[in-house]
Amino acid sequence: MSNLTEIEPFGKGFVEAMGPELILFAGMLLLIIVPNLGQGTFRIPGTQVRLPWLLGGKRFEFTSDPRLPAWLATLTLGGAFFNVLYAFSQGLDRVAIVSESGKQLLLVNGFSRIFELIFFGALALAAFSSMNRLPVNGVGSKVSETELFNNRRQADFYILMVTCALGMSVVALAQDLFVLFIGLELASFSTYVLVAFLKESKVGVESGMKYFIVGSVASGVGLYGLSMLYLWAGSLQFDVLATAFATTSSTEMALPLIGIGFVLVGFGFKVSAAPFHFAAPDAYAGATSPVAGVLATASKAMGMIGLVRMLLIVAAPETGDGSAIWLACLGVLAAVTMTWGNLAALGSDNPKRMLAYSSVAHAGYMLAALTAVGAWNWDAAVSGDAGAAAVAVLTAVIFHLLVLVAFKLGAFLVLSILESEGDVSRLSSLGGLAKREPLLAVSMFIFMISLAGVPPMAGFLSKLLVIMGIVRVAVGDMGAELADGGIYALGDMHWVWWLALLMVLNSAISMFYYLRVGVVMFFDEPEEGREGPLPTGWQVRAAIFACVLTTLLIGVAGDAVLRLCEMAAQSLNYDW
Amino acid sequence: MQDWISLPLVGFPLISSLLLLAFVSKASESMRNKLSDPIRMACLVFSLVLLGITTGMFFQYFGDVSWEGIGFNQYEYSHRYTWIESLGIHWTVGLDALSFPMVWLTTFLLPVTIIATWNEKNGATYFPIVLAMGGALIGVFVALDLFMFYVFWELTLIPMFFLILMWGGADRKYASQKFFIYTFTASVVMLLGLITLYFFQDPGNPLDYAGSMTGRSFDIPTITQHALAENSNGNWYLGANIQKVLFAMLMLGFLVKLPAVPFHTWLPDAHVQAPTGGSMLLAGVMLKMGAYGMFRLPISLFPHALEYFQLALMIIGMVSLVWGAIVCLGQTNLKKMVAYSSVSHMGVILIGIATMQPMGWAAALFMMFAHGIISPMLFAVCGAFKHHYHSMEIGAMRGMAKHSPWIATSMMFAWMASLGLPLLAGFVAELMMFIALWYFIDANGWSVFWMVGPALVLAVTAAYYLWSMQRTIFEGGDETQPPASLHGEPVPDLASPEKLAMLILAAFTILFGVMPWIGLDMMHDWTKQIFDGLILPILGDFNGGI
Repeated sequence: MSNLTEIEPFGKGFVEAMGPELILFAGMLLLIIVPNLGQGTFRIPGTQVRLPWLLGGKRFEFTSDPRLPAWLATLTLGGAFFNVLYAFSQGLDRVAIVSESGKQLLLVNGFSRIFELIFFGALALAAFSSMNRLPVNGVGSKVSETELFNNRRQADFYILMVTCALGMSVVALAQDLFVLFIGLELASFSTYVLVAFLKESKVGVESGMKYFIVGSVASGVGLYGLSMLYLWAGSLQFDVLATAFATTSSTEMALPLIGIGFVLVGFGFKVSAAPFHFAAPDAYAGATSPVAGVLATASKAMGMIGLVRMLLIVAAPETGDGSAIWLACLGVLAAVTMTWGNLAALGSDNPKRMLAYSSVAHAGYMLAALTAVGAWNWDAAVSGDAGAAAVAVLTAVIFHLLVLVAFKLGAFLVLSILESEGDVSRLSSLGGLAKREPLLAVSMFIFMISLAGVPPMAGFLSKLLVIMGIVRVAVGDMGAELADGGIYALGDMHWVWWLALLMVLNSAISMFYYLRVGVVMFFDEPEEGREGPLPTGWQVRAAIFACVLTTLLIGVAGDAVLRLCEMAAQSLNYDW
Repeated sequence: MQDWISLPLVGFPLISSLLLLAFVSKASESMRNKLSDPIRMACLVFSLVLLGITTGMFFQYFGDVSWEGIGFNQYEYSHRYTWIESLGIHWTVGLDALSFPMVWLTTFLLPVTIIATWNEKNGATYFPIVLAMGGALIGVFVALDLFMFYVFWELTLIPMFFLILMWGGADRKYASQKFFIYTFTASVVMLLGLITLYFFQDPGNPLDYAGSMTGRSFDIPTITQHALAENSNGNWYLGANIQKVLFAMLMLGFLVKLPAVPFHTWLPDAHVQAPTGGSMLLAGVMLKMGAYGMFRLPISLFPHALEYFQLALMIIGMVSLVWGAIVCLGQTNLKKMVAYSSVSHMGVILIGIATMQPMGWAAALFMMFAHGIISPMLFAVCGAFKHHYHSMEIGAMRGMAKHSPWIATSMMFAWMASLGLPLLAGFVAELMMFIALWYFIDANGWSVFWMVGPALVLAVTAAYYLWSMQRTIFEGGDETQPPASLHGEPVPDLASPEKLAMLILAAFTILFGVMPWIGLDMMHDWTKQIFDGLILPILGDFNGGI
C-alpha cells in the first residue's frame, strides 16, 4: 500500500488526483456552451458596431446537430472512464484532499477509483446509446418524434447525466459524511429530473414525481440522522465517527444508533432495499430505458458505497464480543429484500418493472454479503481467517456491482430499442424478437441468464463469489479445527450460512421470470404492429454487444477483474 | 502427452457450433434453408471426428493407456491449466473408467442423433445446437475441477432448453421451463454444498492448486486424495455431521438429474415435449450425469455418509424402480411410457449404488452405458412413430407389422432390449444388479422381501412393453383402413437415415449384450479398486464383496 499524500484543494498534484472530476466539469461547461454557439452578435451600446460573440442567434449547422450533446457527453464520460483506467494502469497513489484545518474531505484510492469506473462506465454507455433515440416512446405525446428530437432539450438531458456522474464520484471519494451527502444529493437531483424527463408522457411525469417525493423523504430522514450523528460526535468525519462509535459504551448507544439507522434509510432507498424500494419499479417503468439502467447500476452502486462506509467503517464490527451491532437487523433486511424482490418480479408483466424488482433482489444478495462481513469476528475461532474473509466478501460485492453494469444495463438497452417503436409495458412486446433480430434476442437471453446466475456468464461468477464469501465467513476456521479432531454440525456454522441457502433458493425462484423473457422472445409471435424490422441505430447496438462481450469475457476469464476488485476491497480504509 | 481432451473433445464442438450459429443468425430466411444441408453435413462430420478420437483413445491409438485396471483417483490424458488463480480454479480434465465410457457414449450418440433426426426442421440452427449439447455433456464428464464441473453441468441446460422450446411438441413452452427450473433449483443447492465443502477443507494441510485468495482448492483429485486419506484412517472426512449434510446436499442435485422418485416429475414432461433428438440425448446421456456425479463426488468423498444413507438410497431406488414401472402400465402416450421406463431403469442404477458392492456399482455403471444406447433407440422409435403417424397415442396406429415393417421391427427390438432380453445390453446390467443385491441381502442379513420389488418389476416391465406392442404392432391393422390421424395419406415407414440410425443402435445393443466385457471389465476393475480402497476400511466386520 503506497503512502498517503495529502494535498489541499487546488494545491500541487490536485489536477492529477482529481483528473476524472475535472474532465467531467470541463465537459459539463462544454455541454452548456457548445450547443448554444451561433451567429449571435453583441451591439456595443450607443453605436452600430456589432461584435460577433458566438452565443445565441442562429446556430451553426454543426452546433444545431441534435447528436452533438450526446457525443460531447459520451466523450466526457468516456474520457473520465479511461482516465480512471489509466490511473489503475499507473499503479494507484492514495491521495487525500484535505481542508485547511487538515481534515480529510476526499480520498482517492482503489476503492473510490473502482466505483468511479462503475459510474462512468454505466453513464457513458447510457449516454452513448441514448444518442439516436431521445425522446423515447412519447406515450400520449402530441409532438412527433422528429420535432422532439430536434429541440434543445437534448443538451439538458446530457448535462444532467454528467452532473449525475460528478455527484456520484464525489460520493465515492468522500471521507466526510456531509461531503458524501452533497454528492448524493447532486446525483439524486439529476436522476429525479432524468426520470421525469419525458414530460410529454403521463407515465414519465408521474414516475418522476413519485421518485422525487419518496427520494427526498428518504434524503430528509438521512439528513436528520446526520444531524443526530453530529450532535453526538461533533464531527461528520468517518474516522472521527468510527473512533467515537468504538469508544461509546453500550448504554449511551441510543443516539448514534438512531442516527445511523436514519442515515441508512437514505442509502437503503438508493440501493432499493426493502422496505424502501417502493418507488423503484415506478421510476424504472416511467424513465427511458437507459436512464432506468443507470438507476439500476450506477445509482445502486452509489447507495452501496454509503452502506459500506456507514456499516463497515463507522459502525464497524466489534473486536470484543465479535459481531457487528447491526448484524441481525441487516440479516433480516437482506432476507426480506431478496425474497420480496423475487416474489414481486414473478408477478410483474412489465419487463421494466420486472427488471426493477430483480434489481431489488440483487440488492438483497449484496446486503446478505454485507451481513456476512458483519459476522467476521463472531467467534474467536475464526479470527485467523477473518480479515481475508471480510476482504473476500467485499470483493464479491464490488465485483457484483461492476459486472452488473454489463448485463443489467445491457438488458435495459435492449428494451430501449423496442421502446423507440412504442410502449414496452407488457412482456409480449418482446415477442418474436428472435425472428426479428436474432442477435438482439440472443443478447437479451444472455443478459437474463447472467442475471439469474447461470454459468458461464459473469453473473454466475459474481453470485458464486457472494455465496463463497458468505460460506467462508460461516465456516471460518472449522476446517482446520476438524483436522485437529474437532466435531462440528451444521448448526455450528454461523447463521449467515442460511442466508447463502436462501440466496440460492431465490436464484432458483428468479429463474422463472428470467426464463420467461427467453421463452417470449424465442417462442411467441411478434405483437401486432411490431412485425417489421426494429428501429435502426448502430450506437445502441454497439453498446449492447459491448455489454454481451463483457458479460461473456468476465464470466469465462474474470481473474484480472477479480484481482482489481480485491485490491479495491483491501484499500477500503479499514485496518483488517 | 498431448492434450486430447480440452480442445479436441470439449472446445472443438462448442466453438464450431457457436461459429455456425453466429453465421446462421446473420443469414436471411431463404439462405438459412439453403444452408441447412451443408451445416447438417458439417455437424455430422464434426461429430464423427469426435467419435474417432474417443474410439482411438479406447484402442490406445493416442498413447499407451490401459483402460483396464485404472486405479481410484487415477486419471488418463490428464491436463491442468490455470483458470481463475485467486480462487483456485483450474481447467482440469482427465478420464478414468467412470468417465471414459460416458464420453465415448456421448460421442457415439451425437452422429446417431444427427442421422436419426436427419430431416428435422430449421436444420441450420438445430444441428449446431445438438453439437453444442454434445460439447457441454463431454465437458461435464471430463471436468476434474468442481467449478468447471458445475459450469458444464449448468451449461448443458441451455442447449437442451432451446431444443425443447424451439423444436418440441405443442406444450413445449411449459415443458422447457419446467425442465430448466426444476434441475436448476437442485443444482444451486448442490452448488452451495460444493462451496461449503470447499471451505471445510483445511488450508493448514497443504492443498495442491489452492487459490491465492482463499487457500482452498477446487481440484477434484486433490480433494479426493485428502478425503481418501482421512476416510481410510477410520475418521469421517470433515466429521460425521458435516459429511452427512454435504452428502445430502450433493445427492439432491444428482437425484433430481437422475431422476429418482419423488424428483422425477420434470422428466415425463420434458421427454414428451422434446424433439426426438433432444429426447435421445436427454435420456441417453443427460440422465447419466446424475449417476456420474454421484460416483465422482459424494460416493468418492463421503463413503461413511453413503453407508449412513444406504437404506434411504435403497428405498428411493426401489420406489423409483417399482413406481416407474407401475406408472408405465397406465400410460396411453407412447413417449410418456418410455420416459417412465427410464425412471424405472434409473432405479436399477440407484439400487446398484446402494448395495455398496463392487458388482452392484459395476452394474450401475454398465446400466448407465447400456441404457445410454437402448433409450435413444426407444426415443428414436417414438420419434418415428410421431413423425409418421402424427400421434403419440398407443393405439393410434394398429397392426404396424403389416404395413410398416421397419418401424415395427425397430420398436420390437428396442422394447425387448429395454425389458432386459438376454444377449442384449440391458440384460447384463440387470442381472448383475440382481446378483449384487442378492449377495448384499444375504451377507447383511436383510429380509428376503427386498427382492420382491425387483422381481415384481421384471414382470411389470414385460407386461407394459408387450401390451403396448400388442396394441401397436400386431393387433388389428389393415392396409385398406389407415388410421384417422393420417388423413388419407399413404401409410409410411422409416426413412433411410432413420433406418441407418436404428441399425447402428441395434448393432451396438447386441454387441454389448454378447460381449459386455468390452466395457464391463474396466468398470468392474475400477469399482473393485474403489471398494477395496474406500469401502472395506469403513465396513469393518464385513468380509469381501463381489
